[in-house]
Amino acid sequence: MDSFQHRRWIIILTMLFVTVVFGVRLLYVQVLNNDWKNRAEQITHHKVTIHPARGLLYDRNGELLVAVNQVYDILVTPKDLKGIDTVEFCSLFKISKTEFLQKIEHASTGYNVSYKASTFIESMSKEEYSRVVPYLKSFNGFDSKRRTNRGYPNGVAAHVLGYVRKISAEQYSKDQKVGEKYYNQNDYVGVTGLEKVYEKELRGERGSAFFLRDYAGNDKTNLEENYAISGNNLYTSIDLKLQSYGERLMKNKLGSIVAIEPSTGEILSLISAPSFDPNKLSGREFSENYKELLNNDTLKPIINRPIYNANYRPGSIFKLVQALIAMQEGVITENTGFVCNKALINCHNHEPPSNVQIAIKHSCNPYFYHVYKRLIQRGEEKSIFKDSRIGIEKWNASVKSFGLGIKLNTDIPGVKPGRIPDANYYDNEFPSKTNPYGKHRWAFSTIYSNSIGEGEIGVSPLQMANLAAIIANRGYYYTPHLVKKIGKDGSKRPEYLKKNYTMAAAKYFEPVVSAMEMVVENGTAMGAQIDSIRVCGKTGTVQNKTFNDHSVFIAFAPRENPKIAIAVYVEYGTWGGIWAAKIASLMIEKYLVKELSEKGKKKEKEVLDAIILDKHSDFK
Amino acid sequence: MENRAKNIIGKVDIPLLGLFLVLVFAGLLTVYSASFSEEYPQIYSLDKAYGKQLAWIVISLIIGVLILTLEGSFIRNSAYIVYGVVTLMLLVVLFMPAIKGAHSWFKIGGFTIQPSEFAKFATSLAIAHYLSTSGIKIQEAKTKVIVFFLIAVPGFFILQQPDPGTLLVFFSFIFVMYREGLSGNILLGMFFAIIIGVMAIFFKASEANVSFFGWVFAANYLYLFVIVIATVLIHFGITYLVMPRYRAKKYIINMVSGAIAMLLVFSCNYAYDNVFKDRHRDRFEVMFGLKLDRKGVGYNSYQALSAIGSGGPAGKGYFKGTLSNDKYKHVPEQSTDFIFCSWAEEWGFLGSFLLIILYTAFLIRIIMIAERQKSKFTRIFGYCTASILFFHYMINIAMVIGLAPVIGIPLPFFSKGGSAILGFSIMIFILLRMDSERKDVLR
Repeated sequence: MDSFQHRRWIIILTMLFVTVVFGVRLLYVQVLNNDWKNRAEQITHHKVTIHPARGLLYDRNGELLVAVNQVYDILVTPKDLKGIDTVEFCSLFKISKTEFLQKIEHASTGYNVSYKASTFIESMSKEEYSRVVPYLKSFNGFDSKRRTNRGYPNGVAAHVLGYVRKISAEQYSKDQKVGEKYYNQNDYVGVTGLEKVYEKELRGERGSAFFLRDYAGNDKTNLEENYAISGNNLYTSIDLKLQSYGERLMKNKLGSIVAIEPSTGEILSLISAPSFDPNKLSGREFSENYKELLNNDTLKPIINRPIYNANYRPGSIFKLVQALIAMQEGVITENTGFVCNKALINCHNHEPPSNVQIAIKHSCNPYFYHVYKRLIQRGEEKSIFKDSRIGIEKWNASVKSFGLGIKLNTDIPGVKPGRIPDANYYDNEFPSKTNPYGKHRWAFSTIYSNSIGEGEIGVSPLQMANLAAIIANRGYYYTPHLVKKIGKDGSKRPEYLKKNYTMAAAKYFEPVVSAMEMVVENGTAMGAQIDSIRVCGKTGTVQNKTFNDHSVFIAFAPRENPKIAIAVYVEYGTWGGIWAAKIASLMIEKYLVKELSEKGKKKEKEVLDAIILDKHSDFK
Repeated sequence: MENRAKNIIGKVDIPLLGLFLVLVFAGLLTVYSASFSEEYPQIYSLDKAYGKQLAWIVISLIIGVLILTLEGSFIRNSAYIVYGVVTLMLLVVLFMPAIKGAHSWFKIGGFTIQPSEFAKFATSLAIAHYLSTSGIKIQEAKTKVIVFFLIAVPGFFILQQPDPGTLLVFFSFIFVMYREGLSGNILLGMFFAIIIGVMAIFFKASEANVSFFGWVFAANYLYLFVIVIATVLIHFGITYLVMPRYRAKKYIINMVSGAIAMLLVFSCNYAYDNVFKDRHRDRFEVMFGLKLDRKGVGYNSYQALSAIGSGGPAGKGYFKGTLSNDKYKHVPEQSTDFIFCSWAEEWGFLGSFLLIILYTAFLIRIIMIAERQKSKFTRIFGYCTASILFFHYMINIAMVIGLAPVIGIPLPFFSKGGSAILGFSIMIFILLRMDSERKDVLR
């Protein structure tokens, strides 16, 4: 028996103590505290967003307008940057050193944080990417991501289609704060055109997948997957051939063409000249191109003129509206005649306007002076000031039923209402808000310019085309729109299936239609004649103080069961008969007959050769 | 012959053998799960770690049974020979080509042999033999010096490999010495030295400052000040509480230990600044929780704790781990030093608690066996076995659960490694053999 036997207890106690410490620690780590569980999840769980394919856009005949291209983004994670040979990198990616530093700076400020990847170079084409990809691995912190980008096989209809951009900081924070919280910072959204209006339909629904990943970041096990739902394709009402043809005709001119199918309100073509290739706003050079289009081109091609320029005065085409309203109101009949008194308002020499048709055919200014006077001063009040207020309110309501002076509920973003003046306008806003005429201080004699579509009337080319559609339909219109079908088996928006009736009855339209046919047959728009088709039209010449007058023409054809209604507005195109009418007739002929007649071909050459304004023009 | 074999089996300590087999079996299953590869699904597939581990276990058991057939006196008499052979192997292995930067292995075919694992039982045999020799008294300085050399010679070679983790295990013999009569003050002194040293490094590493009435001190200087105060207080304590005739000696002990403590703190600070490399400093900072480093040196610890924590109370289930196995590889060295992570992830707190209980039971059983010996040799060898296994268990688990800095040392019977399982098995079977004939020997 040795005397140190009791020491075994010290040793055993030491062992038990260690085990108790371990037990407590394990209890804490595994049961009581959740930190390590959460950290384990951070290590193992990997959530992947599955981006749906954005819907494509087709024309009315199934031709592809907007396709998708494969592009590659170069991503940078600033925290992981290590030992980058900047010189080599810059020469490989063809950027300057300052640009490099700026981009790195940008990638770690604001919404971007240095431990997350953000875009360094955007939308590299396949060719560019295959050049740099072999070297990419040697630059720590850089990575790449494949993405689809918009591509435009035909390069037309830039204004109609709009473009897609990475979501802006403002839009993102708005979406997060008051919106549906759908977007991520690197998402792409439609910014203008159909891309914007049908954003929700086009974008589809994002999917997501949960993976367990290994130490190297490889996804090993799929825990959960929600498939992405692709965006709907849009079947637009645009006729690709007509659209391209119109854009060709409008080369070297400034203005708009809008063509509508009257029986449905579908827009066949919407042309803003000058235009640009939509591919410019899709690739890497977006910023440069956008700046160029916005600032460095005096003709401002970025503006969508058919809807944006609602301050165009309609000129003589407005006489059609005046005639229709006057007959409906009963202030004239189809056979009312007036004397062409040039002392009232200037005119040209023509046969006496003994009825509405002749007046329209010759676009007689004094005739419509009288008509408008009867509409405004109806003799309901003794004071001409009070009387004019009553008259203009009635007139205003009637004109608005023609889709003028109101914002058409179309699917083109940025549509403007234009202006049809009312009493309030002259009381408080004209000539200026600070010094208006004031109540009871204006009468017909103050505002008579409106009678012939000048004065304070503002109408957009879209509204002009819609007016042509109204007359073609003899009294109603469908709100003009660009999309026939959302998705392959979808339909258009329900609001576009509703007829909007004007306040003029159908029977008053026949004399106006006849007059319009006469305008083309032997009136002011003989340039719009097409041998095989009965075209009805009306010219307008909008006076312009600084430069040539603007040339306007609206038309529809054929006279019975019209298939196309069109408005052409050529800025600085002198009077209506010359350019606008010719262009309109070419569009009609192309659309209805497909092959141009000999006469048509001659006209086409004239139009194509005409340089009215080009981008070097400098004017105010 | 048959009768004799039956005799031995009948006398073998069944609880110890049972615990041993349970641990080995659980370890094999854990290695299987941790390094499972779908290409080689069979556990006996020698291409994978689990197949090799199984082969080594079979070899170990065969050798174990052979040991059971040996005479106890033969084992005792071979102690120095075994010690000599193994020490020679430790010398020779230094000239072998380095694997992972260390000259620790002999490579024979597809198997590697690590002699330092055998050094543990060889040194144990030598110490047991030496201390059980009649006339040897541990209180004598000569004894201490000889024991020191018995440990230091293989220890020195192991340090040359270099394998500091294994060297650390050799410190466990202090428990054996203590049991055999080494002054408790030495153990206590070492214990305090460790506490004081660790605290010194903690204060140094934390770079904490203490504000005292507007004066700002670095915490590690304040710590020195505290030691001085403590020494002074103990001085007065001796003056008032100790009988005068004992005072002089106590004063000296107090002064000397105070001075040693201060010297220790100074040298820890010095070592921290001048001897430690950045990676060592980082390890300490991570261990003290001063830094939650999940990419650099703290990576192992961070990943290991994540795996253990993710096991939760009941675990994810066998083969259902998502961090600590060959498929995901989030935990480094998951089938060797960090094997406990796989176990804890799959079996949760219940499993990991059960495992530490099993280990403790195993260790206590060894001590119980050692204490029932009449033979001093067997008792000392038993204590050697318990101490070595205890150190392995303590350092490995403490490292894995973030209570100690990362030290490369296997968990006995669990960690993949043939030499380790063989070395530990030999120890256990020698003990079982010696124990089985305890009634036949007189001393």
